[in-house]
Amino acid sequence: MAEIFRQSPVIFRALPINTEMREFWMVVLEYENETSGQYLVDLSHLTKWDVQSSDLSKLRPAGLKIPKKPGDCLLSDQILISRMNGTQASIWQLGKKTLPSSNESNYTDVTESTTALAIIGDKTFSITEKLSSLDFLDPRKTPPFLLQGPVSDVTCQAISVSKEQGSEGLMLTCSRAYSSDMIAAILDAGREFGLTPAGEGRFNSWMRQLNE
Amino acid sequence: MKRLENLPTLRIDSSHPISFNYKGKKMQGVKGDTLATALFSNGIRIFSRSLKLHRPRGLYSLDGESGNTLMEVNGIPNLNTENMGLKEGMNVEEQNVKGSANHDLFGFLDRFDKMMPAGFYYRSMHKPAKIWPLAMNVIKKAAGWGKISPDFRKSGRYEDLFPNTDVCVIGGGPAGMTAALSAAKKGLRVILLEARPQLGGFFDYRKRAFNSGKSLFERALELAQQVKDQENIRVFKHTSMIGAYNNNLITAFQVGGKNDYFKERYIEIRAQSVVVATGCIERPLIFENNEKPGVMQVACAHRLAHTYGILPGQRAVFSVGHNLGLEAAIDLYDLGLDVACVADCRETGHDPELIDQLESRKIRLLKGWIALEAQGKKMLNSVTIGTLDRSIKSVIKCDLLVASAGHTPISGPLSINQAKLKYDAQTNFFLPTDIPAKTHAAGRLFGFEWPESIEASGKLAGLKAAADCDVSCVTEIKKVQKSLTNLPGPEEGNKTIMAPVEGRKSFICFDEDVAIKNIKQALNDGFDVPELIKRYTAAGLGPGQAGIPGHNLPLFVADFQGKSPDSINPTNQRAPLVPTSLATYVGAHNDMAKRTPINDLQIKDGGIFRRIGIWERARYFSEDLECKEEILNVRNNVGMLDGSPLGKFRIHGPDALKALQRVYISNIEKLKPGRIKYSAMCNEDGCVIDDGVITKLAENDYYFTTSTGRAGNTVEWIRYHTRYDNWNYHLVNLTDAMGVLNLSGPNSRKVLEKVTDSDVSNENFSFSAVIEIKIKNQIPVRAMRLGFVGELSYELHVASSFLPALWKIIEEAGQEFKISNFGVEAQNVLRMEKCHLILGQESEQRTNLLDVGMGFLWARKMSAENKVGAVALRQASEDKTRLKLVGIKMDDPNRPAKDGSIIVDKKIRGYVCTMRKSLTLKESVGMALVDEEISGVGTHLQIYEDECEGNTISASVIKMPFYDPDGRRMKI
Repeated sequence: MAEIFRQSPVIFRALPINTEMREFWMVVLEYENETSGQYLVDLSHLTKWDVQSSDLSKLRPAGLKIPKKPGDCLLSDQILISRMNGTQASIWQLGKKTLPSSNESNYTDVTESTTALAIIGDKTFSITEKLSSLDFLDPRKTPPFLLQGPVSDVTCQAISVSKEQGSEGLMLTCSRAYSSDMIAAILDAGREFGLTPAGEGRFNSWMRQLNE
Repeated sequence: MKRLENLPTLRIDSSHPISFNYKGKKMQGVKGDTLATALFSNGIRIFSRSLKLHRPRGLYSLDGESGNTLMEVNGIPNLNTENMGLKEGMNVEEQNVKGSANHDLFGFLDRFDKMMPAGFYYRSMHKPAKIWPLAMNVIKKAAGWGKISPDFRKSGRYEDLFPNTDVCVIGGGPAGMTAALSAAKKGLRVILLEARPQLGGFFDYRKRAFNSGKSLFERALELAQQVKDQENIRVFKHTSMIGAYNNNLITAFQVGGKNDYFKERYIEIRAQSVVVATGCIERPLIFENNEKPGVMQVACAHRLAHTYGILPGQRAVFSVGHNLGLEAAIDLYDLGLDVACVADCRETGHDPELIDQLESRKIRLLKGWIALEAQGKKMLNSVTIGTLDRSIKSVIKCDLLVASAGHTPISGPLSINQAKLKYDAQTNFFLPTDIPAKTHAAGRLFGFEWPESIEASGKLAGLKAAADCDVSCVTEIKKVQKSLTNLPGPEEGNKTIMAPVEGRKSFICFDEDVAIKNIKQALNDGFDVPELIKRYTAAGLGPGQAGIPGHNLPLFVADFQGKSPDSINPTNQRAPLVPTSLATYVGAHNDMAKRTPINDLQIKDGGIFRRIGIWERARYFSEDLECKEEILNVRNNVGMLDGSPLGKFRIHGPDALKALQRVYISNIEKLKPGRIKYSAMCNEDGCVIDDGVITKLAENDYYFTTSTGRAGNTVEWIRYHTRYDNWNYHLVNLTDAMGVLNLSGPNSRKVLEKVTDSDVSNENFSFSAVIEIKIKNQIPVRAMRLGFVGELSYELHVASSFLPALWKIIEEAGQEFKISNFGVEAQNVLRMEKCHLILGQESEQRTNLLDVGMGFLWARKMSAENKVGAVALRQASEDKTRLKLVGIKMDDPNRPAKDGSIIVDKKIRGYVCTMRKSLTLKESVGMALVDEEISGVGTHLQIYEDECEGNTISASVIKMPFYDPDGRRMKI
């Protein structure tokens, strides 16, 4: 009998060894052989919001101020807010915290719209450099910062989260339907550096490392 | 050949042999060799034959300035062996020879050069016309640059790289390295590109003193070490720049080494500032037979010995025009070369120290002498030298003629970046002027020869580049500028580029066999500037990218015309500056396509996929391309189609309706919750660009669909057309967020009823209605009652992550009703039978709403001024000259016309949009856009298909729709 489940757009050819069901999503916490130091994590199941307003300064998602300048980001208390342009921002719920104001008409849940990924490891930007001309290491910008443009020829929102030695990492979203080719392109680019799929646990420990 | 050993400049490792095959014969080179140097060390002197005249060609330069050493390597022709690193097991073959390079049966063509004057292929063999194909075949067989099998698959991994940097330095010689170091010391990110496998440039192989403490090659090593130690300098060796574009976008390609992950990679560098320090190539000396094997450039001979440990000959004559020629003669003499004499066409400008050294070695220096002719059947065996006025001549036996007229700056990177070139009398160079902002030049390309001057100019350029990146260094720039003015400036360049000879076999371009006489012919034919001469004679059009003709062409043209070089411009250079393979440009080749959430499930179900726009879609579900089973199953039972690529949007906010009213041609205001409105969008010309349905979710909250092809443009389209209104609405593209399962066929309700508790009866859920239901009490679905394929149908819109589960649930529930997949081709036929349109298929760019019979959508009573396209539609509504969409039926029911075929009488009267053989109707039917005057039902049409050779096929206009004209089946 057919079961009810939600399927991530990301399908890794790796063996999950620790999983968790969340509202019909099977979230992989850990894959076998996560030892390379360079990780690609599927975050497509995390809730993401599109928020639009002619005056974003009046909105306080999760009590936080939306950054003023397009490209600026705020990472606080498991909420990541990226200012996209003058009237639009995106919000990632990285933990269990929900947005109290999300029922307002300014907000649209776009979790399903995107493939969301994190690339973690000291070779993160060597990998992205093979895929994109976006300057994730721009010395004039302080992480986290958002760049919008092509990664492997697909328009993406990419957030350079950390370029500090030892905690390098980047998060990106692209249209959900590009997932298959995007994953293939990233893993192919990362093969020489040992990039391997990793579960959400790896992402969470990276977040903890950043907080520390 | 035994290699020279214990030279501190060597870049080879003789203890590390590398085997390769040359024409099936096993040979050996050593680590660090290029393929050309390995061949040379194995005694190969004739590498190839020339393009047209099949003259023997040998090693002349070492940086790929000509096609002399192009060979077929591992099955790939046209590879320049001069700058190709030797690898174990390479298989090398000659190309463009009949027989062998040593004994080429086409070698006789050299005697028929008079039959191939400048531009002969533009003027001869054209009349009578039938000669041309014959002649073309003969020419193709006799000339060419090798062959490759169409099935050949290139091995190896090709990649891309897109680095960003503050400063990009092109050229890893002394100027480039000092530029990189000075910018990097300011804390900037620096990228340094070097075409050779090592840094050092023209310091790298020279043992002459840099200063009292060290030699030039030691200084090169010292600088290279400093570069290596500077963490913020990224060095790309074996990397050639190929293009420069706006905003300092520099393109290059890198050849991978043994330990690299790639074979070659294409690099796009975005830099704040660029420094060009590419130095010079040698300026070929023009004399009779100046390309005969045994003749080579100074740096070629010098580097063969100092870098690769190969003595280039036994007995040599030098014919040079610069001090590096004297230095090379001294160095090579010291290594055992018998130097018969050094003919130097200059009367003055000789370095006294070098003259002393020549004298101490008893090497004759003949000032004002020049090589007149190289002799020998295939290989050089003697050379005639003489004074510039030819009053004295002498024939000297030798196997090596080292010849060079001077130097030519490598200005290509600057000129493709829009710098201008202007003649400079001091250096006899065409120097870059009007260099664009944030681009700088340094080093030898300005004519500097003095080592410290070169470095100072590099440092200055590096600091200027740093200043471009907002680093404050004005004081330092002034200081370096001052020190540079105190150092020796650009040296006087030799003005003589050609011996006093007639020029029949004095080649100005080796690649295309263009001799001086051909240039004279072009001038006599009226082609009086280098750009025209280049095209008429093909000089500089070969794979050497004008490396040999370079600036010799404009200098000769000026001289021959009795003009000052001031008045003449060199030919333009264009990307790619260095030839590379298409595979390198293609790089990693990530072909990015969109796939629906049930892509894999459809593959398992036997879906045959085709790329449709940006989507991979299941077009068929069997090898039957007419989709008989798929179509009949929808008509008789129930089918399921993946409609996820459909554009899907939410628009909400106080002014959402106003925005919809602006872009949709209908009146959306009348739309009630729970109902669906079908409408279309037009452009400003009234041409229909999109159609879809709109539903009202709540007050000021709408959900609408667009065609797949327009989905990517919809947000911009609506924002553009409301940009001045300051309306408050929010627009979100949900195309990827929502998957769509299309359930169609008379049994579709029965299937749906099995999986939901909601009332989906016709009474509660009628045609054109939308309801929110739950599948299995869990999966929220927006269900729309539509009928694109002309049957009872449901469009089930669901969160993409739920679509695979929904698909499986529906598939399982539908088994008892013979549910099966149908693909987009079956859908195309089904909707065509119903005459439902697909925009883009039944319309083209000029087709307006009225042409396709969709005028009923237009809210004519609304103000046209505020509705995109309405004004134009009003103007077009009485126009009788437009094409009209009609239904057509072929006279032969088994012979559908091809889509796109034209409808003709005495002229073109329209075209077939879509036509298929209808299994339901047992007729070949379709839709066509035709002139209004032939659009009446019953009109006979003649259809002209491509390749029909004038035999048209007949059809007639029929009423639409063809299937279920009353629409009962959709509404059951």
